[in-house]
Amino acid sequence: MSATQPKMELPREEKALVAALSSLGEKVKLAFAKPNRIKIFAERNDVVEVSRFIRDNLHFDHCANVTGTDFPKDKQIEITYHFGSIDGEGLRRIILSLACKVPSADARLPSLINEFPSVELHERETAEMLGVVFDGHPNLKRLLLPEDWNDIPPMLKAYRLPGRLEGE
Amino acid sequence: MAELTTFEQFVKRVLEIVFWVLIFLPLVILPVFYLVYVLPVELQCNFVLLGCSHSIDWATALYMFSPNQLNPFDPTSFISSMGLGASSILFRAGFFPGLTFVAVLSSFVIWYERKLLAKMQYRVGPLYAGRVGGIFQSFADLFKLLFKEIVIPAKADRLMFLAPVFGMMALGGALIGIVPVGANEFVASSPYSLLIALAILSFFPLVTLIAGWASNNKFSFIGAIRALYQMISYEIPLILSVIGVVILAGSLDFTGIVNSQNKIWFIAPMILGAIVFYITAMAEVERIPFDLPEADSELVAGWLTEYTSMVFGTINLAIYIKLYAMSAIFTLLFLGGWSGPAPVPDFVWFLIKTIIVMTIFIIPRGANPRIRIDQLIDLGWVWLIGLSFLNIFIALVLKASGLL
Amino acid sequence: MPVGATGISTQQVEEDKLVVSIGPQHPGAGHFRFTITVEGDMIVDVLPDPGYVHRGAEKQTEYRNYTQSIPLLERSSLTDVTNIIGPYSLAAEELMGIEIPPRAQYLRMIMSENQRIISHLYWLGIQAIFLGHSTMFMWPLGDRDLLIDLGEMIGGARITYSYWIPGGVRNDIPGNFKERALKTYDYFEKRLVDYERIFFENPLFLKRTQGVGVLKREEAIRFGVVGPVLRASDVKSDTRLDEPYCLYKDVNFEVPVYKECDTWARCMVHLFEMRQSIRIIRQILEKIPSGSVRVKLSPQQRTRPGEAYARVEASRGAMAFHIISDGGTKPYRTKISVPSFRNLIVLKKLLIGSHVADMPAIYWSLDYWPVEADR
Repeated sequence: MSATQPKMELPREEKALVAALSSLGEKVKLAFAKPNRIKIFAERNDVVEVSRFIRDNLHFDHCANVTGTDFPKDKQIEITYHFGSIDGEGLRRIILSLACKVPSADARLPSLINEFPSVELHERETAEMLGVVFDGHPNLKRLLLPEDWNDIPPMLKAYRLPGRLEGE
Repeated sequence: MAELTTFEQFVKRVLEIVFWVLIFLPLVILPVFYLVYVLPVELQCNFVLLGCSHSIDWATALYMFSPNQLNPFDPTSFISSMGLGASSILFRAGFFPGLTFVAVLSSFVIWYERKLLAKMQYRVGPLYAGRVGGIFQSFADLFKLLFKEIVIPAKADRLMFLAPVFGMMALGGALIGIVPVGANEFVASSPYSLLIALAILSFFPLVTLIAGWASNNKFSFIGAIRALYQMISYEIPLILSVIGVVILAGSLDFTGIVNSQNKIWFIAPMILGAIVFYITAMAEVERIPFDLPEADSELVAGWLTEYTSMVFGTINLAIYIKLYAMSAIFTLLFLGGWSGPAPVPDFVWFLIKTIIVMTIFIIPRGANPRIRIDQLIDLGWVWLIGLSFLNIFIALVLKASGLL
Repeated sequence: MPVGATGISTQQVEEDKLVVSIGPQHPGAGHFRFTITVEGDMIVDVLPDPGYVHRGAEKQTEYRNYTQSIPLLERSSLTDVTNIIGPYSLAAEELMGIEIPPRAQYLRMIMSENQRIISHLYWLGIQAIFLGHSTMFMWPLGDRDLLIDLGEMIGGARITYSYWIPGGVRNDIPGNFKERALKTYDYFEKRLVDYERIFFENPLFLKRTQGVGVLKREEAIRFGVVGPVLRASDVKSDTRLDEPYCLYKDVNFEVPVYKECDTWARCMVHLFEMRQSIRIIRQILEKIPSGSVRVKLSPQQRTRPGEAYARVEASRGAMAFHIISDGGTKPYRTKISVPSFRNLIVLKKLLIGSHVADMPAIYWSLDYWPVEADR
């Protein structure tokens, strides 16, 4: 686990979280840790295990947001779960981001719905917007897009808005 | 409109015209006829306008209708021979105190309700139609509705869909036919007029159910079922709350009940009955807080969802006629009917009291949310029936002790 | 779910059940559709179907620089325009690395709290008409105009102020603002007492809302609901307390918490919050310092590469923006985490097992705003 050097002194809770996460060893990679925000990367196969660890040992109890980002240069899609905590002591101000990079060609990811029921709609939205399949999600139907949407998923960088020129 | 190419369309068009005439007849043609033609003549020849005898004698009317007696050049004899005068059955059923009078009163009440609610809500309400505070707004709405297209849903049962229009109107007409407005101003009288009024009231759920079922719409259907629940479960406390008055008056006739109130209005001893009657009547006419059958936020417009144009307008008018009839019955049963100091004609007293009662019916709309169906039925079956039995007990005690 | 010959999936319904489609053209749904399966008077199944007003705001920000996106993003939440721009500005400022002058911070708070009252009044009016109370529909929407007038004094527009922007606020308040604002809020607090008398203390209102749509504390936390829904479920959580942004550390206010967890509690949270917003604005008007209100940014302001996740307490709950930047003048990716979308997940849970008549009251007590949820 290689932590980037924080610019300023981290508060106590963040320090404790980073220390606890380092116990997972090679499974998580710390992207950054700054006051109130911690981001970690995990491999596709470890996401469920890491999320369970986050829920049970770090007391993060809900998912606030799921962001999917397309990186066509790396041919990767990054899925970021943002976890928040209500009951964790002093953790309410902290958002813990769990990111996972999946290859665009094989955009599959195990669903976290059993660990965090609050991801249900967020995962559905990410699935339709980026074409990522969340294995194990019970109801991965269209949510926001129209039923007759007949194009590539719109949040991919390859999709251009109608009327917008290349590079605009 | 499409051109007429087939006989079927021709028949359809004729039926449409007949339909409009049927709607126009009580609302427009009859009042105009009476105002322009009959009333001046009657006033000229007979100053006692409304005090005529009230024997309903169709045989006489038919006899007078025979062509031998007609003299077209003498309007007075023409009218009296037609049986169209102020004492005729047609005048009383169609004009005063019948349909036209109640329709005009209802449209006034609609305007009055909107103004009153607007005052409660810091708004101005209707403003432009008519000089004084939009007083002709209801008539403007009426004419707007008249010019709208009648839309019948494709999968609806056409006959059953249109039946409630006539059903509601007929029931409303029958209801005001049996409710007197003065000692001598009534369409029909009977020694059992209270029973007849209650019997007519119990027909309304049937019409509502037909309307909701024939619309072939889920919202209509749920609304109709709710209306059925509500009206049927509230009919029992309604009838029970009246029994106390009947015991005290010893009569089932509205005239008899009013006459027996010359000592004291029944609202004083029968206050429980009056409260129960007030609540149940409000539920019967589906007014807030009991407007669940038309709850607009969940059922769009309830059992009226699919109705458009004057079909909707007519049903709505019938509902307001029902409101008038309920207030009138309340006045007759509890507020001494038309009794009042002499120089003012008795029907004016009656109208004043009825409009006050209608106001009391209207005011909760501005101050209350809607009740839920299970709470409504709880209220009806537990509280109202219990209170009305208590009321009957009080009436029996008063009667047995000879106080009243 | 079987698929018919036409390729359209169909739903098999049991004999004594009725599937009713609520919305998107329904007086009780807004631009939102959900189908309910009814058995008698009870709801046995709910299928929410948002997306009727999805406009791709997130995608469109990728084509605009940081300033151009402001009026666009505001359109997602017209009753709450200041607070949806709030986290966007905070995230953009974090990426740009700029500090905001204190006067601008206070002005942001004034606008934000005023916006909260405006949004809550809109909510109150609709909640009342969903319960069938027409007077309580007219009163808040009438009084809301006075607060919109205040917003117009500050921001220039009546609804879409574009006031809270990256770099501060768009302009300073006029000199007579304090006097006018205090007068308005004095009047408005009297009106709140009237509201309580006619609506919140009405026995029928209590009967319709108490014990209806109960969302237990554990469930509220597990499903990640936010805002008034969370606070009504006995969780004292408010972004203004948890992670104070602007200068919320310097003002005193209370966060309502109700143990009832039902629709009534959700209604009372809104009422309570309106009073607290006025309290906050009063304090700010007393202590607001003078100074500049805006940091000048270049029209094509560049940001450092990286990402920022900022959140504020919008009127419906925690509103968050996740902006990923590649160092250019435009965001590489913007993700909006809106409270309506987060609260939608419990709609199904609350509606199943309740009466049809409670459906509008429960639905709107979540303060679900379809345009905001669809973005």
